[in-house]
Amino acid sequence: MPRILVIEDDVATASAIEKQLVAHKHEIVRAADGASGLAWATKEYFDVITLDRMLPDTNGLAVVSELRARSIMVPVLMISALSDVDERIAGIRAGGDDYLVKPFSSQEMVARVEALIRRSGTATPDVVIRAAAIEMNLVKRTVLFEGKQLRLPHMEFKLLEFLMRHAGRTLGRKFIFEQVWGYYFDPGANLINVHIGRLRKKLERDGRPPMIITVMGEGYRLEIG
Amino acid sequence: MKSASRRSVRQIRNSITFRVAFVFGLLFSIGIIAFGGLIYAITARELTARSDQILHQEARMLVSIPAAELPRTIRAEVAQNIHGLNYFALLSGSGQRLEGNIDPIPGLKLDAATDIAANQKRGPTRAMSVATGHGETILLGRDISEIEYLLRRMIAIMAASSIAVIPTVLLVGGILSLGPLRRVQDLQTASRQIASGRFDVRIATTGRNDELDQIATTINAMVEDIERVISQVKNVTDTIAHDLRTPLTRVRNRLDDARVAGSVLKSGDSIDDLIGDLNIVLDRFAALLKIAELEASERRAGFGPVHVATLLKTVHELYAPVAEEAEIRFEVRADPEIQLHGDGSLLLEAIGNLVDNAIKFSSGVVLISVDREDAGYAISVRDDGPGIPEHEREAVLQRFYRSSHGAEKPGHGLGLSIVTAILHIHRFKLGLHDTHPGLLAKITIPDA
Repeated sequence: MPRILVIEDDVATASAIEKQLVAHKHEIVRAADGASGLAWATKEYFDVITLDRMLPDTNGLAVVSELRARSIMVPVLMISALSDVDERIAGIRAGGDDYLVKPFSSQEMVARVEALIRRSGTATPDVVIRAAAIEMNLVKRTVLFEGKQLRLPHMEFKLLEFLMRHAGRTLGRKFIFEQVWGYYFDPGANLINVHIGRLRKKLERDGRPPMIITVMGEGYRLEIG
Repeated sequence: MKSASRRSVRQIRNSITFRVAFVFGLLFSIGIIAFGGLIYAITARELTARSDQILHQEARMLVSIPAAELPRTIRAEVAQNIHGLNYFALLSGSGQRLEGNIDPIPGLKLDAATDIAANQKRGPTRAMSVATGHGETILLGRDISEIEYLLRRMIAIMAASSIAVIPTVLLVGGILSLGPLRRVQDLQTASRQIASGRFDVRIATTGRNDELDQIATTINAMVEDIERVISQVKNVTDTIAHDLRTPLTRVRNRLDDARVAGSVLKSGDSIDDLIGDLNIVLDRFAALLKIAELEASERRAGFGPVHVATLLKTVHELYAPVAEEAEIRFEVRADPEIQLHGDGSLLLEAIGNLVDNAIKFSSGVVLISVDREDAGYAISVRDDGPGIPEHEREAVLQRFYRSSHGAEKPGHGLGLSIVTAILHIHRFKLGLHDTHPGLLAKITIPDA
């Protein structure tokens, strides 16, 4: 079971993070300030740290810098109310691995934490991933949908892989755009909608509801069932 | 009334026009005195020289006369009183007057004309003495009363002129300063009205384009800008209030309904609707914050060399499916050599935004091209849609403004504001032009 250290001074936010991560079978340790967070990170192993940017005794940048200075290379998800792109760059430069702006979707937070676990190599690398009737071979770059081979262009393959890895979760368009295309801005509803729409058509099942559904005002979800 | 009058006098006295007039008057008076003094000095010297010349000529003539005839000649000269010569005397070697009508003048040097003050018997005199060569001395003099009178008159005229100039200058300065003062007071009155919030007030100009007109024109332009900005702020505030309150009201009403019904919200549409409404609010906030951050900062952390053709290829890859879906032909023509200095991600966002709009409004074709210009080059995004009316081309760059030609299309009126803010930190310019039919959005990039 992956272990997550949550360094967050706001009790309600820390509880919400804990609740979601526990629901996704992660073990949680909470620290309410930078000093105790550093102490935990130094004496015990964690798969990921979620770190608030502004703490009562110090700031998140100083904590992550100290972690890296002590050669603790645990992936860090920085969580902040500061949305300025410069803040994101500062967080990443200080040693953070990802940056999440408050208020955030709890599902997106879990998805980011799990993506960090995968990237860090602490999880077993997948060769084949499955979601509902879709099977994707990440080495051969093939997709089988209900037993039939699907030919997907590069970006559609990446998009489907992302949706499959987070199947059953509603994913915001900015999160999808950031994780699949690698750009940190809001491309507008139309762009993602079209790319999703093209993929959705290829995953159509006769007489049954679509596999990718649009959650109005929120994002998209690959249905598991 | 008395106080107002005093204030008015003080205002006149302190006015620039009055001070300038006063200084000029003073300089003019000094000029008169200097010029008059020069004329006086030249005149006095000339008149004295003439007197001396006459005295010397007469002295030479008398010296040449034999000693025996000299008394008779002097009597004759006194009787004739010619050449303006008034006084003659023949003095013995011991200094006693032998002949003539003037007493000996002690201390008078030989052969040098000297001014002698008036006494009871004569007026002011220019006098000289010469030796005859046989022990006697001839004394001769010229009454200079008229010359002195003339010079005194000159001094009086100069003094009077100088003195007369000062009150004249004060009067003229006062009168001249009244006009500008009145205009300054108008300016003050208008400024006070503007400061109290009346941005429709403008300062009157005379059309002469003098200094006050120039100040008034500058202030009027400034007030127009302030009025426009305030109007925009009000418009933005109203729109924010509307755009944010509407979804927030829906959220509140749904929560109220759930509370009244005594139920907790169940998963499904109602929760999705609530989250959707809150996301609308958060997205608007995020866009507004991004614009504010871009406008307020000199964010250049992500700046570096950007290969324009690669940037536009990425834009094409992103938006080609969108264009295809809308049955729009979407092409990119870019010189593969061009590079610029900027933030690739921000520029992708800006150009992507323009392309998204172009596809939204196009009838069939969207084209991106890169063209060389005089002092740089331009990235142009063309469509063949309805375009934007000329009077709206500035306004659509403002937050929340939506063109009357695109009201039915989806959008929140922040896209072009973000584009403008991104181009602003790059020092690039965005121009919107009509292509009959369609819109040309042109990003002008100066040579580095």
